[in-house]
Amino acid sequence: MINKLISIFRDSPNSFDDQEKGEIVLLLLRRHIFTILAPLALFLLACLVPIVTGIMFYSFISAHHLLYLFYFGSSLWYMGIWMAIFYALTIYTLDTVIITDHRIIDNDQRGLFYRNVSELHSHRIQDVSTRTNGIIETFLNFGDITVQTAGSEKQFVFHQMPNPIKVKDTIMQTAATRDSGVKAL
Amino acid sequence: MVDAFPLQLILNIFVALIFLLYWGLTFVILYHLARFGIGVQPKRFAAIFLFGSVVLSGFAIIFLNNIDIQSFIPL
Repeated sequence: MINKLISIFRDSPNSFDDQEKGEIVLLLLRRHIFTILAPLALFLLACLVPIVTGIMFYSFISAHHLLYLFYFGSSLWYMGIWMAIFYALTIYTLDTVIITDHRIIDNDQRGLFYRNVSELHSHRIQDVSTRTNGIIETFLNFGDITVQTAGSEKQFVFHQMPNPIKVKDTIMQTAATRDSGVKAL
Repeated sequence: MVDAFPLQLILNIFVALIFLLYWGLTFVILYHLARFGIGVQPKRFAAIFLFGSVVLSGFAIIFLNNIDIQSFIPL
């Protein structure tokens, strides 16, 4: 029972809403981890505020018997930071690109209640290109991937994806497999 | 001695509202991670978030109980 419960944290399948029968998820992509580090660093910096305040005003706080009020205020502050950290992580986690053997699904999560889902069937893929911008993206191996669809339809751009070359190859392989009618192994 | 009851009541209502808001938002985040999350990562985040929220709320309640309201009231 406990093992079964714990197993969802180890080997949860990459299944999603509206998954077709027999549809296989080839890649589940999220933005590179580097993109979430800047807001997280800001929140970690905010963790220092109660500590610095406590050190600066310790004599005043203890003289006026405000120690527990200060601890209480600090714990509310940390609760707020904890919430903000996981809000950022939730948006990061839910902003995904799913590449299956049938299609590409782009879940664009902008806020908790603002979500844009676009879908592109692999037989409509014409061209895939990657773009790496700057020194950080080059060294950490992430960049933008642009998928061009047939005709004058819109482009699909996936920003700051890890291993863009590998992703491009997978998308092109999927498109070629669908065109030729041979199932990829 | 001045009666501390109204001040205690105001503090308790204020804290109750904060906790209501906090746990409402916590529910929304946990729901999104569990409902829309794909793969292992959202489940792990949800578990860590819930554990941390419970611990931090526990600390907040303990500190709240130790606050001496009488010390804020001028004699």
